[in-house]
Amino acid sequence: MKPRRTARFFLYAVLPVIAIVSFLVVYPTIRGVIMSFQNYNLYNLRNVHFVGLENYKAIFTDSRFYEDLWNTVLWIAGSVSLQFVLGFILALLMWKPFKGRGIYAGLVFYPWALSGFAIGLVWSWLMNGTFGVINDILLRFHIVKYPIHFLSDPKWAMWSVILINVWYGIPFFAIMILAALQSVPSSVVEAAMIDGASAARRLFQIVIPYIKPTLLSTLLLRVIWVMNFPDIIYGTTRGGPAGATETLSVYMINIVFYENDYSKAATVGVIILSILIAYAIIYMKTTSYEELEL
Amino acid sequence: MKKLIAFLLIVLSVFLLAKTTLTVVEVFTSPERDAILKNIIEQFEEQNPGVKINLISPPYETAYQKIYTMISNKQPVDIVEVGDWSLSTLAAMGGLENLEPYIANWDGAKYMLPNLLEFARIYKGKAYLIPNAVYAKTLFIRKDVLKKYGIERAPKTVFELYGMASYLTDPRRGQYGYDFRGKGYPTDFIDLFVTSFFDDIDPNNMYLTKDGKLIWSDPRAKYGLELYVKIFKDTAPKDAVNWGFSEQINSFVSGIAPLLYQDPDTLGILKSNLPDNLFETDPLPVGPYGKAYPHYGFSGWGIVSYSKHKDLAWKFIEFFNSPKVLSYWCKNYGVLPPDKRVYENDPYFKSDKYKGWIEMFNDPEHYQFTKQPIWSEAWGKWTELQERTMQEVLLGKKSVDQVLREWSEFWEKAGLK
Repeated sequence: MKPRRTARFFLYAVLPVIAIVSFLVVYPTIRGVIMSFQNYNLYNLRNVHFVGLENYKAIFTDSRFYEDLWNTVLWIAGSVSLQFVLGFILALLMWKPFKGRGIYAGLVFYPWALSGFAIGLVWSWLMNGTFGVINDILLRFHIVKYPIHFLSDPKWAMWSVILINVWYGIPFFAIMILAALQSVPSSVVEAAMIDGASAARRLFQIVIPYIKPTLLSTLLLRVIWVMNFPDIIYGTTRGGPAGATETLSVYMINIVFYENDYSKAATVGVIILSILIAYAIIYMKTTSYEELEL
Repeated sequence: MKKLIAFLLIVLSVFLLAKTTLTVVEVFTSPERDAILKNIIEQFEEQNPGVKINLISPPYETAYQKIYTMISNKQPVDIVEVGDWSLSTLAAMGGLENLEPYIANWDGAKYMLPNLLEFARIYKGKAYLIPNAVYAKTLFIRKDVLKKYGIERAPKTVFELYGMASYLTDPRRGQYGYDFRGKGYPTDFIDLFVTSFFDDIDPNNMYLTKDGKLIWSDPRAKYGLELYVKIFKDTAPKDAVNWGFSEQINSFVSGIAPLLYQDPDTLGILKSNLPDNLFETDPLPVGPYGKAYPHYGFSGWGIVSYSKHKDLAWKFIEFFNSPKVLSYWCKNYGVLPPDKRVYENDPYFKSDKYKGWIEMFNDPEHYQFTKQPIWSEAWGKWTELQERTMQEVLLGKKSVDQVLREWSEFWEKAGLK
C-alpha cells in the first residue's frame, strides 16, 4: 500500500472514534468552558450573553469555595491513601493461591459493583446517630457511652464519608494491584528468598519496583475519579452539616439543583478540570511517569 | 382509476385511524403513583377514542432537569407536571402556556380551595398550571405515645408544643419529643415557627409584614427562631441536624418522636406502617398572637407553550380536575384535593386523618394560608442558604442574630423589600 493511501486508511479507521469522543467529551468540555463565561441561568434563558470573568470572580471571592477546596483535599487524601494501602494489603493476601480464594476475592470486589449514591443511602442509615446499627453495636458492647453522630457532627462527618468511600474504593486498588502482582516473575522472588532477603526487602526492592507503573497509573486515575465523585456525599449528607462535607463536585451539583445557575456550576467544573490537569502534569513530571514502561 | 381510488381510501383510513398522541411528563415518579396515574389516563383514552397519551416518567431526582432540557430544546411534549417550586423557572423560560383563557370558561375554578388559584398565579399574575394536588403542613401526633405519658390532646400553641416535647424527652430511654428536620429543604419548618410569632403577615408574601417590612429584621422573628433552636436542643436528637424526610418518618413510626409537622403525602406512608388508631392530624400550634401561617404547596399539570395540541391538553387537565377523578387521585396518592366539592362529597376526607387540615381551612381567623416568595429567582438559593446557616446555628457556629441579619440582607439584595 502506498504511504498516502495507508495514511488515508488509518484516518478512516480512527474517524468514528474521533467523532464519538468529540461528541461525548470534547463538545461538552468546550460548551462548559463557554458557559462559564456566560450568564446561563434557567430563569434567564432568553437573555444569555457573555459576562466575561464575572462567574470566576463570584466563585473566587466566595469563602465557601476555599472551604470546599480544603474539604476536597481532605476527601481525596483520606480516601485515596487508605484505599491504596488497604487495597494493596488485600491484593498481597490474595496473591498466592489458597482454599476459598474465589469467594474471598468476590467479597473483596463486591462493593465496586454497587452504585455510589445507593451506598450513600445505605450507609446513612447504618451511621444514623439515633437508630443506626453501628451505634447500636457500639453501645451494646459498651465501646461508647453515647451514640456517635457520624454524619451530623462536623468533627465526624468528613471522616465518616471518607470511611464509606474507602469501603467502596478498596476493590479498585485490590483488583489492579493483584493483576500487576501476577505479572511479577516468581523465579525472581524465589531467588531473593534463597539469598536470604526478608519479606519487607522483597516487597520494597523487588515487588514494588516491578509493579510501579500500575501503582502510579492507578493512583493518578483514582485521584481524578475521587475528585469527581460526589455520589456518596450526596447520598449521606448533601454536603452538610453546615458545609462540613461539601467538596467542589458536590458544590457544583448544589449550584445546579438549588440555584439553576448552569454558568456558575460550569465555572466550578472548569476550575476542577484545571486543578486536575495541573495535578496530572505535576504528578507525571515528579514521578517520571512518562519514562516508565506502562 | 381503481388503483387511485384504492390508494385514496388507504390514505383516508390511515388518516382516520391515526391517533393523536399527547406526551405527558410527570415529576413525582413512583411505582404506586404511576399505577394511579395510568388508570386515570386509561379512563381518559376510553372517553376520547383516537387520543393516546404517552406518559414519560423520569426518576424524581432528575425529573426537573429532564423537563428543563426537553423544553429548552423544544422536544415534543404537550403537558408537564409542574410543582410550585419549578413554576416560575418554567414560566420564565417561556415553556408554559398561559391558562387564563381556559380558566375563564372553566366551571371548576370557583370550587378551588381559598386563595389556591391566586397562589398558582405567582408568575406575573397569570396561572400556568391547574393544581391537582395540594400540600400543606399540619401536626401529626402519635396518640399512643402521648397517652403513655398521660397526655390526652395535641398541643394548641407552640409553647405547649415545646413544653410537651421537653416533658417527653429522655435520651436515656431513647425518647424524644419533636420530629426535627435539619436537612433537605427545612424551609417550611423554620418559616412556620418564625411566622407564628407574627400577627400581621402579608397574605401574598410570607416574608413580609402587611406594612411591607421584611420579617427577618423584625424582633419577633428572633423570638420565633430562638424557640425553634430551643426545640432542637431540648426535644430532638442531636443527630436531627442531618435528618431529612425519611428520618422524620422513621422516628414518628418508631415512636421516638411523636410530634411531627408534615404534608398529606405522609398519610399514605403512615397508613401502611402504623395501625389506623395510633395517629391523627391536628391543626398546627399557633403562636403568641393565636396565629399560624401555613403555606400551600401544590403541583399540577401545565401545557407546554409550543404544544400542537393545546385544546386537547386542556381537555385532559379538565378531566383530571373533575371531582370524581380528583377524589380517586388524592385518596390514593395521599394529597389534599384542591376542589372543595371533594371534601363535601367524599366521606373519606372527613376522617380524623384529615382533621388537622379541615379545621385549619375552616378557621381563617387563626390560620391564614400564605404564599412563600417562591416566584423569586433567589428562592432556590435561599432554601440552600437557609438550610446551611440554620445548621450553623444548631451546631453553635453562628448566633440567631447573625443569621437573621444574613437572611435579611439576602432578601433585601433579592429585591423583596
